[in-house]
Amino acid sequence: MSTPRTSTSSPRFAQFKLVLLGESAVGKSSLVNRFAKDQFDDFRESTIGAAFLTQTVQVDPNTIVKFEIWDTAGQERYKSLAPMYYRNANCAVVVYDITQSASLTRAKAWVKELQHQANENIIIALAGNKFDLQESRDVDTSVAEAYAKEAGLLFFETSAKTGENVTELFTAIAKKLPIESVLNRSTRPSGPKGVDLSRSARQPSGANGAGACNC
Amino acid sequence: MSSYSATAATRRGSVVPPLSGIESNGAQNPIPQKCDVLISGTGLVESILAAALAWQGSSVIHIDPNPYYGDSNSCFNIDQLLAWVDRVNRPPSSSELAAERIFSNARLYMPRPLDSKKFLVDLSPKIMFARSDLLSLLIKSRVFRYLEFKALGNFHTYENDTFDKVAGSKEDIFTDQSLSLVTKRNLMRFMKFVLEWEENTELWKPYQNESIEKFLTEKFKLEPQQITELVLSIGLCQSLEVATPVALSRIKRYLVSLDIYGNFPVLFSMYGGAGELAQGFCRSAAVAGATYKLGTAITSVDDKLVTLNDGSRIQVAEKIVLSPSSAVKKENTKNGILTRLVAFVAKDCKEWFAENEQAALVVFPPSTLSTNNKTSVQAIILGSGSGQCPEGVSVWYLSSTEQDPTKAQRDLEEAFTKLEASILRESTEDFEFENIDESDVSYRPDGMPVLSSVKLGQSMQNFVPREKLQYLLKLSFVEKVEYSAQPDAPILPEETPEASPATVLRAPYGLSEISYDGILTQVKNLYTKIVGSDDDFFDVDFEDEDEASAGANQTNSSAPNAIDASTVNQIDSRDDDIDEFGQDMEL
Repeated sequence: MSTPRTSTSSPRFAQFKLVLLGESAVGKSSLVNRFAKDQFDDFRESTIGAAFLTQTVQVDPNTIVKFEIWDTAGQERYKSLAPMYYRNANCAVVVYDITQSASLTRAKAWVKELQHQANENIIIALAGNKFDLQESRDVDTSVAEAYAKEAGLLFFETSAKTGENVTELFTAIAKKLPIESVLNRSTRPSGPKGVDLSRSARQPSGANGAGACNC
Repeated sequence: MSSYSATAATRRGSVVPPLSGIESNGAQNPIPQKCDVLISGTGLVESILAAALAWQGSSVIHIDPNPYYGDSNSCFNIDQLLAWVDRVNRPPSSSELAAERIFSNARLYMPRPLDSKKFLVDLSPKIMFARSDLLSLLIKSRVFRYLEFKALGNFHTYENDTFDKVAGSKEDIFTDQSLSLVTKRNLMRFMKFVLEWEENTELWKPYQNESIEKFLTEKFKLEPQQITELVLSIGLCQSLEVATPVALSRIKRYLVSLDIYGNFPVLFSMYGGAGELAQGFCRSAAVAGATYKLGTAITSVDDKLVTLNDGSRIQVAEKIVLSPSSAVKKENTKNGILTRLVAFVAKDCKEWFAENEQAALVVFPPSTLSTNNKTSVQAIILGSGSGQCPEGVSVWYLSSTEQDPTKAQRDLEEAFTKLEASILRESTEDFEFENIDESDVSYRPDGMPVLSSVKLGQSMQNFVPREKLQYLLKLSFVEKVEYSAQPDAPILPEETPEASPATVLRAPYGLSEISYDGILTQVKNLYTKIVGSDDDFFDVDFEDEDEASAGANQTNSSAPNAIDASTVNQIDSRDDDIDEFGQDMEL
């Protein structure tokens, strides 16, 4: 899922899978919607819609990172995330709610789970969301920051509502990703690249229609 | 009506470590108290059903007694496999006597401990034809985007102690040096016919109830070897006795699947087969609003009030669907068995794969093994590119539909021995071929010379391997499958398609078929019993509003947050005709 496309004339282009984790209702989906669509919905009830969201970040004039962002689709609620969710994830955003200290405890458990289930060198960012709700703050910035430092995580306090630090969070992740090694790796060690089911060899024009040319 | 598998509670073993501290307590996050449909078991059939119902608008709660996805279709790492083998072989406790057991007789040989995470053992490996109903559903539902597929181009047939690569395309037939001109002409004539066989009724109608062997011999003058390859390898039928129309549809299935995504007829999904697809459909169902809870079993059902082993009670408005392993033993019903042999072998086996591929299929037709096998032994060989084993290792999945378990085991072991001898011979570099001349070399369509594998195989009878093949793991087991007097026959609905009056529906056993064909028919039967018809089965317009790629180049540094122009995959124009084809396949 992280196979890059390269070109000499246009910017280099590397794709990475990003997974979201965190307790329900900490604002995982809102955060991604702010990042990917620059939208915020006050009454977003739960995850809806597409398979996953994508968004790009330009890390330097010649390099674009494209995130393929997997939402939990609610499957985290009863600890029922599939192995597929973690597989080949390059980076993760673990979200907690700065107004709920219990959500930071859960976030720590998710970090452990990631270190157990996901790739060894996965890049993890901790995001303290709902930064706009300062009056209800329940988690000190210094406490979360100390934990993030100790666990080797990127750390931001974000607001999906105002957009504060959202771009910064994803840009920081993009800059930490192993872009060079992905771009330099023409084929995967595991063998030939997979078949893209969205790209049929058969042209819609029917010039080489299957069923008509094999006889 | 209320005696459910009590084993489920005890089965919540510690196969996957619990996510300690993550689970919210019940008071904070109670499971919904009501739903339209409650489904127990996350095998592929139940998972597609869950997604279909969720997208149709039903509220779905999907649970699984096991702490992992996939039910009888799971794909296990070594630690999980050891626990599974243990469970399969454990005699049922008194409370488990009524419970259904899908698997039996699991025998595991593992000389040394293996790195658990580096190996994946698939309980139900399957191949997918490039033109098939399930593949077109994967595209339509966008579930394919969660998965990774790879090509499988090489089909080999074992006959007279040789492995012959099947000539499955026009080009292959042209370049096959072992075929006479007359045979080539007859084969070409048949291939042209079979692509439109449904319309050419006058030719095959008289053979409607006759075997395909008789039809091909009398109508197309084909030789036994060609008939074997067409029916048993290309058609993947179990014997030459299969009825003519069934075999014709199965041969056509292969031919129309060539050149859809490239020069190969089938694909396989990485990291596991049906179990991976099941995870993808569960995710799709979750996106549509279904609730998921693993490690949770039904303890009792009182009319439509269901109690779960986590203490919650759910009022079900419509139906309760149980996977076979979540249900009580089915009494007085015939079921069939499928016997499997799985081995991880310390050889990459690339000799069997087509260029740039990581998989091959091998068929041992009836009566070709010294055990005088009555049915084919079919084998899927996967390299490390499958994500199921490390480099330098391959995994062999052999299966037999022989209904006598002892004989099935013998057939599989014999086929295994032949595979072993073949790979040792073909990978022995200093092995000298006797009397090789120009006629042994043929040319592929791209002009590359290849040694005829027939010639390679001729030496096999006398070949004495200098080395022994190293097995990292060998496993055999028996699975209960849908009974079919004729394993190749299309799956027909058991009942008239109208909503069933019973509240509890039991999902069918798995199929012995090596491809995914037949599974959607099973799903639609259940769907129809719940909804009343399958008219609105996945009748959703999945928009790709977020699936971007073309927009990437337009992104500029000043506006990294700009909405990425979405690119709709150019696939929808294809969906319709593939769907039609799917109908054809169901006969």
